[in-house]
Amino acid sequence: MKKAKYIVTLAVFALLIFGFAAAQLILPDKDKSFTERRELAQAPSVTAKALFNREFSDDLEEYLLDQFPLREDFRLVNSAFRLYALRQKDTNGIWIRDGVVYKNETATNENQIAYAAKLYNSVIETYLDGCNVYYTVVPDKSYFVRDSGYPHIDYDRLFDIMKRGVDGAEYIDILDTLSVDKYYRTDTHWKQPDIFDTVKRLGDAMGVGEYLTPEGDYTAHTLTPFHGVYIQQAALPVSSDDLVYLTSEQTDSAVVSGPMYKYDTVYTPGLFDGMDGYDVFLGGTQPIIEIECPNARTDRELYIFRDSFGSSIVPLFTGAYSKITVIDLRYVASAYLSNYVTFTPGSDVLFLNSTLVLNTAMIMR
Amino acid sequence: MLFSSVTFLYAFLPIILLLYYLAPGVKAKNYVLLLGSLIFYFFGEPVYVLLLIFSSISDWLHSIYIEKHRGEKKAKAALISSIVINLAMLGFFKYTDFLIGTVNAILGTAIPKTGVPLPIGISFFTFQTMSYTIDVYRGRAHAQKNLGTMATFVCLFPQLIAGPIVRYVDVAAELEDRRHTLEGLALGIRRFAFGLGKKVLIANVMGELTQIFRDSGDKSVLFYWLYAVAYTLQIYFDFSGYSDMAIGLGSMFGFKFPENFNYPYISKSITEFWRRWHMTLGGWFRDYVYIPLGGNRTTKLKWLRNIAVVWILTGAWHGAEWNFVLWGVMFGVLLIIEKLWLGKALEKLPSFVSHIYVMFLVVISFVIFNAAGLKGVVSDIGGLFGAGGIPLVSSDAVYYLKSYAVPIVLAAIGSTPLPKLLYGKLSDAPGVVLEPVAVGALLILSTAFIINGSFNPFLYFRF
Repeated sequence: MKKAKYIVTLAVFALLIFGFAAAQLILPDKDKSFTERRELAQAPSVTAKALFNREFSDDLEEYLLDQFPLREDFRLVNSAFRLYALRQKDTNGIWIRDGVVYKNETATNENQIAYAAKLYNSVIETYLDGCNVYYTVVPDKSYFVRDSGYPHIDYDRLFDIMKRGVDGAEYIDILDTLSVDKYYRTDTHWKQPDIFDTVKRLGDAMGVGEYLTPEGDYTAHTLTPFHGVYIQQAALPVSSDDLVYLTSEQTDSAVVSGPMYKYDTVYTPGLFDGMDGYDVFLGGTQPIIEIECPNARTDRELYIFRDSFGSSIVPLFTGAYSKITVIDLRYVASAYLSNYVTFTPGSDVLFLNSTLVLNTAMIMR
Repeated sequence: MLFSSVTFLYAFLPIILLLYYLAPGVKAKNYVLLLGSLIFYFFGEPVYVLLLIFSSISDWLHSIYIEKHRGEKKAKAALISSIVINLAMLGFFKYTDFLIGTVNAILGTAIPKTGVPLPIGISFFTFQTMSYTIDVYRGRAHAQKNLGTMATFVCLFPQLIAGPIVRYVDVAAELEDRRHTLEGLALGIRRFAFGLGKKVLIANVMGELTQIFRDSGDKSVLFYWLYAVAYTLQIYFDFSGYSDMAIGLGSMFGFKFPENFNYPYISKSITEFWRRWHMTLGGWFRDYVYIPLGGNRTTKLKWLRNIAVVWILTGAWHGAEWNFVLWGVMFGVLLIIEKLWLGKALEKLPSFVSHIYVMFLVVISFVIFNAAGLKGVVSDIGGLFGAGGIPLVSSDAVYYLKSYAVPIVLAAIGSTPLPKLLYGKLSDAPGVVLEPVAVGALLILSTAFIINGSFNPFLYFRF
């Protein structure tokens, strides 16, 4: 009996370590992980330098981890074991409540938030003389379940630092226009068809509310399935979202350009199947974009300093502004703005960043 | 290379097992092990592999010389030379910057530190080679004539970088001739899989919690204690898991390595704790420091001195920082107190009281152990008792207590002999295939955890 047990133990062990080793050798390497939105490590080159500075051993481990057979399934096993066997409340910092996926953001980085306020002030002082300057803060969706017992940043403190720190810009409060159901269940971002109240609030505050394209004039286009960033990080079996984008006469006629912008429309549905489906909106990460809106109902200009939340809200302003300049200070340093943008006095300027970016604001320059 | 890395589990291990069992005879198998061990070390420390080779050659030459001149002054001189070389290596790589830092702090000087990185496992392999030459000098072991065999002992990858501290006499016979049995292989696999599970599924999960605590801006007394308990469990499962893997690998290759842990957290006194914790290190200091100094067969004052020396050295062995020395001194003092006064009283106390006494002190000791220097000790120990006006409870602490409650309870139970007793009963039942299933499940689950996360350090690597 013992001998049989030993033989089976040996067989199981050998099957696993030799089986996976052989599979790793035989199976072709993958270029990308769509679930993690990143390039996968490829086989490292063997050079004397790489061998002796440990680069090769580090790269080899990274490569073997990235290309491991059934990698996604193993990640799923890990998450399921943590949540259902170990009864952990999150996996990889990701947690689910009522079918909505959230990410733990525990540390309130007061110095980073204060830095954001200073950066706003610096931009206002340097470039925005004579402009009508506003700022708003987009809450992470965990803001709306902050009493659920899950760790979250100190939102009151964040808003307080911003309000005390920003000079020369009017704060537009959009908190009451949003709720959890206005965000994707599996992603960080808000859903474009659900933010008309927010757009109206911002438009009214900037004096263009009446020129916004009415909700009924939009046509909805659905792309599915949309695997949001949180579900991918958590490797959890949660159903995906639909990504809906809205077109109108104004968005269809808008002409978009920018130093890094390869497309000429506000929406690029072809990017839905790329690394991040949300890139459909304004082509994803872009330092500067200019949008000419020939069918706008005013000849006013808007400059919007934004993060990725801005990508889906900006198209909804194409009815109210003849020109919109979209700037992301994470990808273009404020010191170089004059090389790319000329700010017209009398224009509207909106700083729109999320609590996620403000809490790590030093990624902006 | 970490045992709990994909490179080791699914590249290095299958290749070396295959080559090892294909190699004919022990001599050829030893060369496979030697070559494999050098590659294993080279992956982590490409340059310092030369140090390992130097150490092997140095102690090989010294031991031959000692044996040749046994009973002569030359033998003693060679022994001293060997010890000086080993201690010089250890001292230079491990303690130079510590001493410079201390001198700078005391004298206000600004002597630049060397910045030389510590070779992985140097504390382990220097102690192993020192014990070898000392044993040859004492006549307890014959000098190994074959450099290849000697180097195989020094470089043997299963125990090279984090123990257990295997003495030459433990494996001398097996280096020359050893049997490879199905039982040895299967039991080695089982031990390795269980060790891997302890490391990856428990120690790493506890490690996540300690890191979360460090990163949190929402500290409280409860969070400090949660951290202290998590770290106490992490270090046990990390180190004993590594020892299990090492012993299991040894068994796969026909060696029987000494045990290193025997459920230290069920101890009822600190004296008992140290009979169960890192047993090979304790045995090393006993045989090569404490007893040569006179042990307890001397005057009370010298006996106290001997204990003090051993425990200061034990602390310093664990790390070149004052908190490690303090950690060692703390245990030295506790052991003296138990030996002089408390020992008998502890025996009379109800088990749970003496158990609480031990665990309280052990938890405190590991908070000292894991602190960032002496300032860190003050801060962390203070935090446990509410110093600095921190609240009793914080929302982060409550959340992570809930999130890690099951892993902590499982780990606490796992640190007792209970799972082993249960497993023994189940696995011996007729027709039960628990063992192969457990091995397979642990390997798959550990792989899933390794693939998912990059949090995978071995705490004892830098000792």
